[in-house]
Amino acid sequence: MGEEVKKSRPAPDPNSAKFKLGQIAAKAYSDAMEAKARGEMVGWCASNFPVEIPETLGLYVCYPENQAAGIAARGGGERMCNISEGEGYSNDICAYARISLAYMKAKEAPEQNMPLPDFVLCCNNICNCMIKWYENIAKELDIPMIMIDIPFNPDYEVSDAEVEYIKAQFWDAIHQLEEYTGKKWSDERFKEVMEISGRSSRAWIEAASQAKYVPSPFNGFDLLNHMAVMVTARGKAEAAEAMETLLKEYKENHEKGVSTFRAEEKYRIMFEGIACWPWLRVTSTGLKSRGINMVTTIYADAFGYIYEDFDGMCRAYANVPNAMNLEHARDKRIKLCRDNSVEGVLVHTNRSCKLWSGFMPEMSRQIGEACGIPVASFDGDQADPRNFSEAQYDTRVQGLMEIMEANKGGN
Amino acid sequence: MAVNELLAQLHEVAASPKKQLDKYLKEGKKVVAVTPVYTPQEIIHSMGLVPMGVWGADMEINEAKKYYPAFICSIMQTVLELGIKGEYEGVSAIVIPSLCDSLKTLGQNWKYAVKDIPFIPMTYPQNRKPAYGIKFTKAGYERVIRDLEVATGAHFSEFALAESNKIYNEHNAVMREFAEIAAEAEITAVQRSDVFKSAWFMLPEEHTAIVRKLNEELKNGPKAEGKLKVLVTGILADSPNLLKTFDENGIKIVADDVAHESRQYRTDVPDMENPVDALAQKFADMDNCTLLYDRDKKRVDYIIEQAKKHDAKGVIVLMTKFCDPEEFDYVPIKRACDAAGLMHLNIEVDRQMVNYEQAHTMIQAFKEMF
Repeated sequence: MGEEVKKSRPAPDPNSAKFKLGQIAAKAYSDAMEAKARGEMVGWCASNFPVEIPETLGLYVCYPENQAAGIAARGGGERMCNISEGEGYSNDICAYARISLAYMKAKEAPEQNMPLPDFVLCCNNICNCMIKWYENIAKELDIPMIMIDIPFNPDYEVSDAEVEYIKAQFWDAIHQLEEYTGKKWSDERFKEVMEISGRSSRAWIEAASQAKYVPSPFNGFDLLNHMAVMVTARGKAEAAEAMETLLKEYKENHEKGVSTFRAEEKYRIMFEGIACWPWLRVTSTGLKSRGINMVTTIYADAFGYIYEDFDGMCRAYANVPNAMNLEHARDKRIKLCRDNSVEGVLVHTNRSCKLWSGFMPEMSRQIGEACGIPVASFDGDQADPRNFSEAQYDTRVQGLMEIMEANKGGN
Repeated sequence: MAVNELLAQLHEVAASPKKQLDKYLKEGKKVVAVTPVYTPQEIIHSMGLVPMGVWGADMEINEAKKYYPAFICSIMQTVLELGIKGEYEGVSAIVIPSLCDSLKTLGQNWKYAVKDIPFIPMTYPQNRKPAYGIKFTKAGYERVIRDLEVATGAHFSEFALAESNKIYNEHNAVMREFAEIAAEAEITAVQRSDVFKSAWFMLPEEHTAIVRKLNEELKNGPKAEGKLKVLVTGILADSPNLLKTFDENGIKIVADDVAHESRQYRTDVPDMENPVDALAQKFADMDNCTLLYDRDKKRVDYIIEQAKKHDAKGVIVLMTKFCDPEEFDYVPIKRACDAAGLMHLNIEVDRQMVNYEQAHTMIQAFKEMF
């Protein structure tokens, strides 16, 4: 018989964190689509914009970075990049931006649709590229742009002058949105959202910290998938609940001695940079086949926000990884490496991200020296599949593994 | 002094910044390097220090590769390269703003790559116009003042800043006047570039004195005839090899929107009681630049307006490779040119360019379209 026998996958457990998180991520898009169909305004929102603001105001927002990652992971990155390059955008521009600008023109992508925006919420604590990207959308669609500027902080601590500047902008943004959308700010509702966001963040960070156990109760690539919920829904009660389920599962995994890393965990690494979404399977398999578990990444921590009040929120949004100076960014990573018994660092030199990659060689050298662990890097891109070479990745990972093995006292 | 002598003097300065650095150091002055695109030069000047621009150089990159991946713009890469190689030896500090993502990384790399020249950050707000933005700009200036005092031992006084603000405004006026006169006068693209480039390596009062004389001479001199008039936009337009092609093809720059050139001189420090407030207000008043938040893309309208005002027939975009802010603006510029009936050309430029053949061919073909 020549018929292929397909393995049937077991039905997902609706009480599992994976199922719940998948549902929330999908619902964020369907809710926005339905809202748009009802005639409600929908915004496009930068991933590190204070989500508490639209959530408190009861506004529907979608996240172009998340959409671009989704499109890229499902194979549509190159097609979309080609559309924006056809418009005249350079292929040196961030691939998330190129995909998003292409979506604005094409208005659909089978990999991940979302409604076109009535306003954009921009925050540059992740990069200044966001500003230009959202300027172009706002101008072309002739819609308002709410701009919260959280500058790159050259100092270790966030200054009072910066907090004051951010706070004034938060209120300005709230007032602009109230005026444009007719929604009203409520301190009571903000308090609820803050508490929920705090719950989600605490559970998320604690879940990620379960990698402190050897072996880790999870495969670090899980974090990259679940993170979508932290980006899009951290202020929603169902997200907090799902994150608490995730934490519970990871704790149970540890107690039972099982893991979602389906191989023997021989080596533990920190992955640096945004995931290489178009090559997620390749990058994941390249590690797993060698028994390398990516147990931690700063990228996951980036979306956990814990604070006590409005001022604390301003400070928290200034303390995100891409807004920190080298020393602060380095020390956070060193802590992750030490807390999680990391034996090596794999750096994604991401062609799309000048800020992330621009001082990474120096920072990763310092991390390697401080922790006494090897560092390897590979060239890739968060969403444009053309900027990655499987052969180079394989060689670099193999090299990293050999040094980690030698450090264990092996051959 | 004749036009050619004045231009030769400025060419000498533009071509040999190291000589200028040595001259100021020999005079017992302290020099502070300032990187693209905007820094509070008025403050540095008011403290008796010499601000000197560092915009990299056309050269091969070796040492900076230890710090930068290949896809960071070559201005940042070569500034770092020159720093590592000791070309800025004697400089007391470097002021680096964080107006683009690559500039943010330059400051961070500098601390480790060039340890003997202290890094002074200048954090400008993007929401620069509201009162809270102006206050934040002022906080940034106050920090620069404190850091300069530590790095150089110089002292700050509001009285001296008020004087420096005036000196810079005079320089702005004379540079704006030069740009207008150069649009008509018989002056090559290379010579025009020398006038702008030399400004980065001289005290503003010295540069003002020379350019003022030059303006007088050019006003009374012969006018350029029969040239194809263009507006040039971009971050940098200082490559003699590229600019020669403009001259060889009879292309005349009648206006520019170049960050290294006219963008520096558009906005004056307003007359206000407190000179630090006035300088912060100046930043709030600045517009039409790719690195300053611009929801309405006023820069694009400005380019079209300036092109029309100067009777330019085309717009030449000199696109600094890997400058993503400029790359984002290119599409609206291109569309606006099409709508306004202006021909446009996009030439990718790089500090590491050795072969200009492709650019030459593009410029030639552009000329032939008229």
